[in-house]
Amino acid sequence: MHLKTLGAALALSTCIVAGAQAATLDIAVDSSPAGLDPHLITAFNSVVIVGDTVYEGLTMIAEDLSVQPALASSWEVSDDGLNYTFELEEGVTFHDGSAMTAEDVAASLRRVLSEEVASPLASRISPITDITVVDDTTISLTLDAPFAPILTSLAGIAIVPAEMESDVESLQQTPVGTGPFRFNEWKPNGYVSLVGFDDYRQEGLPKVDEVRFNIVPEAATRQVGLSSGQFEILPGVDPATALQLQAAPSVTVHETRELSYTLVGMNAERAPFDQAVVRRAFNMALDRGEIIQGALFGAGVPAGPLSPALVNWAVDTDSFDCYASDPEAARAMLEEAGIELPIELSMNVLPRQDVKDIAQVVQQQAAEAGFEIELLNQEIGQFVQDWRNSNFDLFASANGGNPDPDGYFYRTFYGGGSTNVFKYDDAEINRLLDEGRTTTDAAARKAAYDAIQNKLACEGPIAHIAYGTLATAVHDSVEGFEINPNRRLTSLKQVSLSE
Amino acid sequence: MIATLTRDKLLFFAVIFVIVQIGLAVFAPLIAGDPFAQIMASRMQGPSADNLLGTDQLGRDVFARILFGYRTSLLTSGTAVLLALLVGGSLGMLAAFYRGWFDRIVMRLMDVLFAFPIMLLAIGIIAVLGPNAFSAAIAIGIVYVPIFARLLRGPSLVICESEYVMGARAIGASDVRIVFSHLLPNLASVILVQASLLLSAAILVEASLSFLGLGAQPPIPSLGQMLAEGRNFLLLSPWPAVFSGFAILFLSFGFNLLGDALRDTLDPRLRGQEQ
Amino acid sequence: MIRAGRLLDLAIVLFGVSIIVFAMIRLIPGDAVAIMLGANTEITPERIAELESRIGLDRPLVTQYIDWISGVVTGDLGTSLWTGRPVAAEIGANLWPTLQLTFMSVLVGAVLAVPIGCFMAEARGKTADVLVRIGAIAGLTIPSFWLGIVAIFLLSRWLPGFSSLGYVPFFEDPLENLQRMALPVIVLALPMLANLSRLVRSAMLDALGQDYIRTARSKGAGRRRIVYRHALRNALIPFITSVGVATGYLLGGAIVIEQVFAIPGLGQLVLGAISERNYPLVQATILVMTTAFVMVNFVVDILYAFIDPRITQK
Repeated sequence: MHLKTLGAALALSTCIVAGAQAATLDIAVDSSPAGLDPHLITAFNSVVIVGDTVYEGLTMIAEDLSVQPALASSWEVSDDGLNYTFELEEGVTFHDGSAMTAEDVAASLRRVLSEEVASPLASRISPITDITVVDDTTISLTLDAPFAPILTSLAGIAIVPAEMESDVESLQQTPVGTGPFRFNEWKPNGYVSLVGFDDYRQEGLPKVDEVRFNIVPEAATRQVGLSSGQFEILPGVDPATALQLQAAPSVTVHETRELSYTLVGMNAERAPFDQAVVRRAFNMALDRGEIIQGALFGAGVPAGPLSPALVNWAVDTDSFDCYASDPEAARAMLEEAGIELPIELSMNVLPRQDVKDIAQVVQQQAAEAGFEIELLNQEIGQFVQDWRNSNFDLFASANGGNPDPDGYFYRTFYGGGSTNVFKYDDAEINRLLDEGRTTTDAAARKAAYDAIQNKLACEGPIAHIAYGTLATAVHDSVEGFEINPNRRLTSLKQVSLSE
Repeated sequence: MIATLTRDKLLFFAVIFVIVQIGLAVFAPLIAGDPFAQIMASRMQGPSADNLLGTDQLGRDVFARILFGYRTSLLTSGTAVLLALLVGGSLGMLAAFYRGWFDRIVMRLMDVLFAFPIMLLAIGIIAVLGPNAFSAAIAIGIVYVPIFARLLRGPSLVICESEYVMGARAIGASDVRIVFSHLLPNLASVILVQASLLLSAAILVEASLSFLGLGAQPPIPSLGQMLAEGRNFLLLSPWPAVFSGFAILFLSFGFNLLGDALRDTLDPRLRGQEQ
Repeated sequence: MIRAGRLLDLAIVLFGVSIIVFAMIRLIPGDAVAIMLGANTEITPERIAELESRIGLDRPLVTQYIDWISGVVTGDLGTSLWTGRPVAAEIGANLWPTLQLTFMSVLVGAVLAVPIGCFMAEARGKTADVLVRIGAIAGLTIPSFWLGIVAIFLLSRWLPGFSSLGYVPFFEDPLENLQRMALPVIVLALPMLANLSRLVRSAMLDALGQDYIRTARSKGAGRRRIVYRHALRNALIPFITSVGVATGYLLGGAIVIEQVFAIPGLGQLVLGAISERNYPLVQATILVMTTAFVMVNFVVDILYAFIDPRITQK
């Protein structure tokens, strides 16, 4: 009964919008979201639809990757770095009409941290030990130790109504947030429709009446659809399609450096990759420029441990001595270390076209240095299972990045870290990671992360391959689009359509 | 008379067409270059003297990959049809031979398998076994088992009830002897025709599975996979997608024509009608 | 009597299908929880246990099966693991595109097959016959997904304004709906047309060779009349069988074509559900497809009885 009423109300509102010659922005995405609850589903195909559109966090990551105020208009950090006090924007309402208060913020954070909800985002804010509602528009967070990346992490924690705290079902289908667009309709395998939220906290935004995320699995189909004007935006276009769309009339391809990267992971617990010298030799065998040419259609830059998008942190890859491709020297190094060649290995490959191509080029390059690699192209479930169980010699994959070095390094390379499936455990790295995490002095932090990058680049358990170019193809009828390296469609609220 | 000649010409043509393609696959290493060698400097080139059908996104020779793709395709589909024939054919014949509860159980099982959509059953089996050419062969084989079982059960029933098999039984011929000296020879033409037609269909199914990334895995060349990769850069270089599509068509076409021509030649009813 | 037996057979087949589907999806390595948590996220045993109990995977398999199948029998197909929506609603949303695609393709294929098949039979033994026949086999063996991709690209060059992708419900915009269905329907109808026209042809040849046709012909009846009245009637049964089989298969979702043309049909639904390990959705969708397939065959059997009463007597 209740659902029916809701459905009728939605249908009615759709009619009204349609009657007023609504400006609808059609976006084509490659797969259905697996749900729309921002705390449960972290896959890109869900985040691109609801992140920064339906939902907002206390902070947000701007196009230049700086942390900007969102639902929190300002904040103060105590001198010891353990206490953060946020002032909330006033007069913000949720899409269901209720007012957003500090209680909702507290409930949202508790929801992410709770065992029952089992949110994959929990570790991003796990240092929070106490959440105190000071008044309706003030909230105070206490950390167990200084945790510099917390402001970045909070941008990824959507604020939802307090009554959702223990409800793990409603938001999956009917998201309710404070963002510029409110959820309208989800047609499984058809589209997800969002409509402009009239009471959005920023006056005059959003500019379009409706945004439709059409689910179109075929790249070729999306491409033709954009050229013919059926779709206005294709987020996250693959390099081959981007290259082809650049030549298309009335289409602009926006590009930026990706935060995410492609990689080859090594099992630091299994011979021979338990030896640092073998990991170094493997890095030397690779010619990253050639991989980028062949597998990414030239769209990318050689990757070090941090994305060059993090201009304040990333060390230039030219300074890594193992990045000068030299298979002969790699082979000599292995022979000198008394390793019998060829080394026979298998490599699990993520089922994605660019990664499959990268694996093939890596296979050929590594063969010259004495690595004989068998490629195991796996179904996604098998790949994830083997990844989780550290059941691999090598794997080729792609990882999402993080705007803060700690957000990526700590869980990946710290001994026993939560995504350290490589079983890498290095005393020096552990010490430097602790230092980077707890130091609030910017220069000391920078020094620690420089040292970490220099060591990890050649001898870490990951051969970082390339940061791709994030390309979003936009039809020329769209005005005001700006691309965000974190892949979210942050600028959608400023976008308007011209005919 | 003229019609008969035309039909035989067709059979002749079909046989040649199929043999040439099998020959290309078998002698691929002698005819074409290395299908794995990547040359980044010459990526996505059109046809030239060096690369007869151009190069793919990693600078590999499309001609070599198509010939080796023929191998993958023929091996996978051939194994699948053989598996289906051995398992399904035996089940069908045995069901007809023994009748009773055995017949009923086997044929119900066949009904169950037959009720699945072909591609979905194949996709499910491959998901369980892991995506590679061998799984694809097994999956297509299982999907085709009920087809052979049903196909051979009917005629087997008729033959088993025929007077000469009854007679052979009466004089004490063993079951094995009856199967090999009476059943099989009489079913040979049906089997030959159906195997050829199913091979043609299996080549298409294998290509569809590879297209979805569920067949032979890179770097092993397969036609469906080349098509799937090639469509990603169709506007930059249409050659890999266009040529691999034609390759699938020719291969499947050849076996279908062969089966069709064989049926005309072997089917006694049609033959009788022409006289 | 016979009907009751057939219905029992149907029930047994569907029971077998339900067991196979249930077992198969669970045999795929990497379960729903693994996929939900995904790669590169932090996993603790508690979180896995929590998720397992939330979606009911911690119960014994037999219990899970019995719960599911008793739900199905009472009309409850369960809820999607990922979205929490009723499975019946998800299937319902994807049913129409598949139904429309199926019936339009079958209609186009079957209607055109009769005249083309008759023509082929009449032109038998001539060069034209060979050419038509080679054309038919080519139509049958051309990879439909390749044809689809090529057609989309050629159309986008020649008719940039023609939107051939995606799906618009018929009652929302009939013209737009038909425009978008045109290409996929042609691509799917082509092999069926090739198959059916061959079938019509061979059935016609068969019939032409029968004694009574020769008798009729020797009696001087008109050529056209003979062919249509006697032969077509005999061609009807194999024709209906083939149409039935084709309908059944298309109802199972033309997976690759749906993918190429971005049509949100049952094939897309189940393919996505398999890769998400959305157990209830996979189970129910495949069960619906096989039920449709089996029912179509059942209807075909009943049709036989109407066309040729001798069959029921057998």
